[in-house]
Amino acid sequence: MTTKDHSACCSGGDDRTMSRRELLAQTGRGIGAVALASMLGNPRLFAEGMAGLPTLPHFRPKARRAIWLFPAGAPSQIDTWDYKPRLHEMFAKELPGSVRGNQRLTTMTSTQKSFPVAPSLFKFAQAGQSGTWVSELFPWTAKVVDQLAVVRSLHTEAINHEPATIAVNTGNQLPGRPCLGSWLSYGLGSMNENLPTFVVMTSTYTNKSNVQALSARMWSSGFLPARHSGVSVRGAGDPVLYLSDPDGVDRETRRRMLDGVQALNERQAEALHDPETETRIAQYEMAFRMQASVPELTDVSGEPESVLGLYGAEVRKPGTFAANCLLARRMIERGVRFVQIYHRGWDSHTNLPHQHRLQANDTDQACYGLITDLLQRGLLEDTLVIWGGEFGRTVYSQGVLKEDNYGRDHHPRCYSMWLAGGGVKAGVVYGETDDFSYNITKDPVHQRDLHATILNLFGLNHDAFTFRHQGLDQKLVGVEVPAHVVKGILA
Amino acid sequence: MRAPRSLALLLSPVLTVAIVAVVAPFVSRRRAAKPADAAGTAAAIALPATISFNEHIRPIFVHNCFRCHGSDPGSRKAELRLDRPEFAFAPRANGQPVIVKGNPGASALVRRITSSDPDVVMPPPEMHKTLEPREKALLERWIKDGAQYQPHWSLIKPERPALPNVRQADRARNPIDRFVLARLEEEGLTLNPEADRHTLVRRVTLDLTGLPPTPEEVEAFVRDESKQAYEALVERLLARPSYGEHRARYWLDSVRYADTNGYHFDNYRSIWPYRDWVINAFNANQPFDRFTQEQIAGDMFPRPTQDQRIATGFIRAGMSTNEGGTIPAENLAIYATDRVETTSQVWLGLTVGCARCHDHKFDPISTKDFYSMAAFFRNTTQPAMDKNLMDSPPILRMPRAEDAKRYAALPGEIDAARKAYDSRVKSAESAFEAWQRTQGPADVPTIGDERLDFRLLPDPAEPTTLRNVVSPDRAFTFTGGKPRVVTSPQGPAVRLPKGVTADLGDLGDVESDEPFSYGAWVQVTDTVDGALLARMDVANGYRGWDLWMKGSRAGAQIISSWNQDALRVLAQKAVPSEGWHHVFVTYDGSRTAKGVKIYYDGEAQEVFEEVDSLRGSIRTKTPLRLNRRSTGEGAEGASVYDIRFYRSALAAPKVQVLARRGMLAAALTETPEQRTPKQLQPLRDYYLDFLDADAMRLRDARNALVDEFEAVKARTKVTLIAEEKKGQQPFAHILIRGQYDQEGDKVQAAVPAALPPLPKGAPANRLGLAQWLTHPDHPLTARVNVNRFWAQVFGQGLVPSVGEFGITGEPPTHPKLLDWLAVEFRESGWDVKALFRLMVTSATYRQSAAATPLKLEKDADNRLLSRGPRFRMHGEMIRDLALVASGELSPKIGGPSVKPYQPPGLWEVVAMEESNTKIYVPDRGQANYRRSLYTFWKRAAPPPAMETFNAPTREQCAVDRERTNSPLQALVTLNDVQFVEASRRLAEIAIHEGGENDAGRLDAIALHVLGRPLETAERKALEPVIRDLRDRYARDSKASKALVAVGDSRPAASIPTPELAAWTMVASQFFNLDEALNK
Repeated sequence: MTTKDHSACCSGGDDRTMSRRELLAQTGRGIGAVALASMLGNPRLFAEGMAGLPTLPHFRPKARRAIWLFPAGAPSQIDTWDYKPRLHEMFAKELPGSVRGNQRLTTMTSTQKSFPVAPSLFKFAQAGQSGTWVSELFPWTAKVVDQLAVVRSLHTEAINHEPATIAVNTGNQLPGRPCLGSWLSYGLGSMNENLPTFVVMTSTYTNKSNVQALSARMWSSGFLPARHSGVSVRGAGDPVLYLSDPDGVDRETRRRMLDGVQALNERQAEALHDPETETRIAQYEMAFRMQASVPELTDVSGEPESVLGLYGAEVRKPGTFAANCLLARRMIERGVRFVQIYHRGWDSHTNLPHQHRLQANDTDQACYGLITDLLQRGLLEDTLVIWGGEFGRTVYSQGVLKEDNYGRDHHPRCYSMWLAGGGVKAGVVYGETDDFSYNITKDPVHQRDLHATILNLFGLNHDAFTFRHQGLDQKLVGVEVPAHVVKGILA
Repeated sequence: MRAPRSLALLLSPVLTVAIVAVVAPFVSRRRAAKPADAAGTAAAIALPATISFNEHIRPIFVHNCFRCHGSDPGSRKAELRLDRPEFAFAPRANGQPVIVKGNPGASALVRRITSSDPDVVMPPPEMHKTLEPREKALLERWIKDGAQYQPHWSLIKPERPALPNVRQADRARNPIDRFVLARLEEEGLTLNPEADRHTLVRRVTLDLTGLPPTPEEVEAFVRDESKQAYEALVERLLARPSYGEHRARYWLDSVRYADTNGYHFDNYRSIWPYRDWVINAFNANQPFDRFTQEQIAGDMFPRPTQDQRIATGFIRAGMSTNEGGTIPAENLAIYATDRVETTSQVWLGLTVGCARCHDHKFDPISTKDFYSMAAFFRNTTQPAMDKNLMDSPPILRMPRAEDAKRYAALPGEIDAARKAYDSRVKSAESAFEAWQRTQGPADVPTIGDERLDFRLLPDPAEPTTLRNVVSPDRAFTFTGGKPRVVTSPQGPAVRLPKGVTADLGDLGDVESDEPFSYGAWVQVTDTVDGALLARMDVANGYRGWDLWMKGSRAGAQIISSWNQDALRVLAQKAVPSEGWHHVFVTYDGSRTAKGVKIYYDGEAQEVFEEVDSLRGSIRTKTPLRLNRRSTGEGAEGASVYDIRFYRSALAAPKVQVLARRGMLAAALTETPEQRTPKQLQPLRDYYLDFLDADAMRLRDARNALVDEFEAVKARTKVTLIAEEKKGQQPFAHILIRGQYDQEGDKVQAAVPAALPPLPKGAPANRLGLAQWLTHPDHPLTARVNVNRFWAQVFGQGLVPSVGEFGITGEPPTHPKLLDWLAVEFRESGWDVKALFRLMVTSATYRQSAAATPLKLEKDADNRLLSRGPRFRMHGEMIRDLALVASGELSPKIGGPSVKPYQPPGLWEVVAMEESNTKIYVPDRGQANYRRSLYTFWKRAAPPPAMETFNAPTREQCAVDRERTNSPLQALVTLNDVQFVEASRRLAEIAIHEGGENDAGRLDAIALHVLGRPLETAERKALEPVIRDLRDRYARDSKASKALVAVGDSRPAASIPTPELAAWTMVASQFFNLDEALNK
């Protein structure tokens, strides 16, 4: 067992009681009575990987779990959620210097001689009771727009993908900090005994031009104990690494084999009294249970047509965004606390209309399907859904602007996200940008404010939720600049 | 219970420097975190007789006050500093200091911390911090006693303390034990008895070499009755090459060594010679000061040796980028930051990262200190962008001995050959001029038939039908819809919508060792993705070949079985979206990616060699198809014309002719006099390439030399090194709040002000820094490194926060022992092997690991060392143990990293399309059985089994690994092919060694894995399981066969399969025992 940090004990919340009962019910034959007794009587076992901090949450949470849909590469806010009708008059005109100010540009466009304004080629229409403007890229999402709080005033300092993606996940551009999912896992613990607390899925994508990398540092637990890192659940091969027994080993054989392992481990525990041996015994039983619970989770054959149909045809192809959205729903039903679904391919420096169309095609109906499915099951109430990524894109065209084509560079000064469920106010639009979607004119939301708001929905005070590291009480929102809960999107 | 340490303090009431160093406190965080007695008032709380600033007061300040009243001016409140006495005692606006020495009643500090008024009380309620009654009492007493400040313990040079007197002196084998016993006796504890011999030989072999002992080694030690048996064993182990490998593995974590550049593309980089240098340095027992100096500044030594330059790989081991859009100045700032942080962690045990943006809140490292340190590292010639190269400069290229002469000679020879060719080009001009005058429209050059196998053109009458010009009676029509007829410069062509395909029958049926070439004229107005021309069986591992487009980039795949046995080459640039272009692939039958060339309009393209592992046959019965593989949808939006396939590898000039025939024809229709210089150029190229014997000879000679040079270069070792800029003194700018573009004052290279200055005469550059780090007066280097070596063996450091010796770190559990070891290490000549010898021969190390209830109560985490070290091994050791126990381990040391078994698909899901580490193609054979430190380390996706066991990503310095236990780890040792195959191999050994008797077999397995025979009761416990497994596999021959077939190696034919399967599971049980996973 790690010697780092706190030694939390069972908090005694409703989750805990349930878990223990489940554990009892699900612990099959084979595990020795001694080991089982010591497992249940050993709070350290529960401390490792399951229980949250006894003092949390700080107040009554509205969200108990979250799904973060992450369009990686930075979708253009101008072509998706930040409707700018007046731009059409400005087609190909130079972006006024007064708008651009002295903003830092990437070296991809900093040497560009002109910055021609590129209005969106996509039509926008008002949707739902709320009348929120939605791009034609998202006809399906438009149908559930009344469930969403669209935030048009996100901003960040980072201007390139790698640091920006790390920042929106961890609150800091440099690698090494824990990401949101890890903080939630650490603070609130697990709601189940058979599945990871924090799951990450990467999706297949259609646009293959200029695709940005992902890395485990984006779902890393940083300085928090490693068990709070995101666990990758994969579309191809074993959904969890090394989950499947080798060829020629069936469940019964595995059980029998583990009986032998545990028999010897119990003797070891008696001989040395090393508490870690007891942990080991429990660890192997949990692995055995996961081997059954994960395939059960990923087997969607029991899902009725009426549900599959919500997500669109791609839901049947493992690894697609749609299939991952369905899995996410199944996960949160089974007590996974935080699910993150990455979808790469949004980095459209050139040929944006074509590329964004492909990308929207991959994801739009699945977003609708997920919200609808959650809603129908009564899960949306306490499940937070987040859509959005690292930054936005420039109003001016990168490269040559044509009547029917343009590209856009990175733009950290403003971009859009949406949130739904889990205590988020439905059917609102928050924040405003100028006519060029270049600068925020009202209600700016820094990424740290987003983090503070998400923590708030989970019943956590972002300033009081800390972890001591390098002598500082570290927080998700950082220790430099105060963060604010965005009250305007709270229900 | 008396307060720990109070006795020592009583004995030494005067706070001298020496005492400060040894008195460093023992404050267990566990204990400190316990809530104080709720009813406690200051009077009722038992306080130590003497209050020490370092032990009692500083922790309170650190946790509660320094955030706003520390060294950082940015967050300071009320202009009050409590971190330094001169500020704490300075009079405030009211004329009074907040701390009045000797008078708590008059001290504003006491008033504020004891107030019940939320507007007055400190810390203020919004900080969510509350002082415990005991903490308040300590502060009051400290002020009453005169409020003495002390410098932080770790910043004072260690002196060798006297050995403490202990009651059980007879238990001490060496000085380590005296210190440990002294501490244990304070708690009423003592050392455990020595561990049994089996445990001991396994423990020490694992600790010194990272590998388990073989049964023979166990046997030899257990039987050796000589008094010095254990010491002799230690000497044997220290002399093994595996010792250096094991030490190197820890070092590689801390210097963030990996095989990729980390950021963005995360491409392969060649720096493994540095890894081998580290192994060799440990094995040669290079003194640690020298080891340090060479890594920091080996290139700046007078006439540096090749090894000293390789050692500077330390400077280059950090991540680098070539991401488009990043700003060079920012990249350089990031690289320097990484080096400062790594150097500080590894040698100083200080985390200085915070000082990048603001003065360090608690430690005396200012922003100026940080950038002065950065200056040491900002004077190298490394560029801001690494160009995604494996050999991004500066590098050292080391040709093989047999190549050295040619390597030196070839550049000159190539240069001469180029000149000779160029001069022939000039002198041939008149001959060319004469020749071109004889050429007319009828003379459009061709390339001969070159074994043209087929050539498809649209039927002029019905362009949606294709005709093979080579045997014209066959026509091919499309299915799935009709292609659109479009116009190409040569005539009508077809545009292929998605799903429209033509079955071309048995054309293009070739083998992987035959040369062939293929391509067509192509137009891509939109981004095209998919197969254009393919004879490929998707269902059968993608066997066959194709021409496909990805993001409009042309690629060629030649596949026996994807991706273990395949070639995939992809052009780096897209086919331009305007106009028609000739896209052509040539393959020389060599089964290597190098043998594939892709041409656009006759120009050879830069390519990504994504997969290069072809060995087997590519022949398939699947017909050749246009715009589709055997299944799938093909490309959308490409237009094609003139599809050709040759059964030979066309040379570059011939491809040029194919691509330029149009241009040549256009030139030749003009009269010679009318031909423009632009039109003459393709004619001239043709003349030189095909007709001028001298030019052809000189060209071939030049090309042969270039090829030879490339081949020699491909065989050289390459490693990234550091190189100092010439004629420039190191400097840096303070970056305001860490922003690369907010330059503040310029600073020279300098060491932090709170530490000793650079040694006299040492230059203010990396060389000086290296001398400073290893100077005998340095308070940190020896302590920090001794502590890390200690942690490798004992599982945790004497300073438990091994990476943090600053004020915010944990104090040492055994401060005198740490100092004694640090001085011993330094005075031994920084002898690393001697230090390990000392540690592993101590009685402390040799004790049994068994715990008692008393020990668990008083020493739960074994910080007092009341029992022997026993903890879960790192993932590498667990895998290596399986390799040794199964007789599989390859003895090879060093060399390029290898790619053993890994679940498929892990790289693809995170990598960029353009990365050359996008697809993990496992090596075969021996590569699967190399020691784990040779496994290829891709930073964005580290070896998954290692990562599951808490290996760091190597993205940044990691001086400590966590040790969690998760179910995912159990899945690795149960199911990873590596462990399943090792289980089978171990089963074979056990059956061979143990004979017919189950007990004998079990003992054999136990000896290999656990280093001991089984006890009778253990054997008994396993008997029913073995019986059951045997029955199962006897009944199910399919399962038996499947299980023993796991892995690359073949099962022993001499053993009946069901029996082998059953014993494979038995062996696997042992690899999963708690005892096996622990050392």
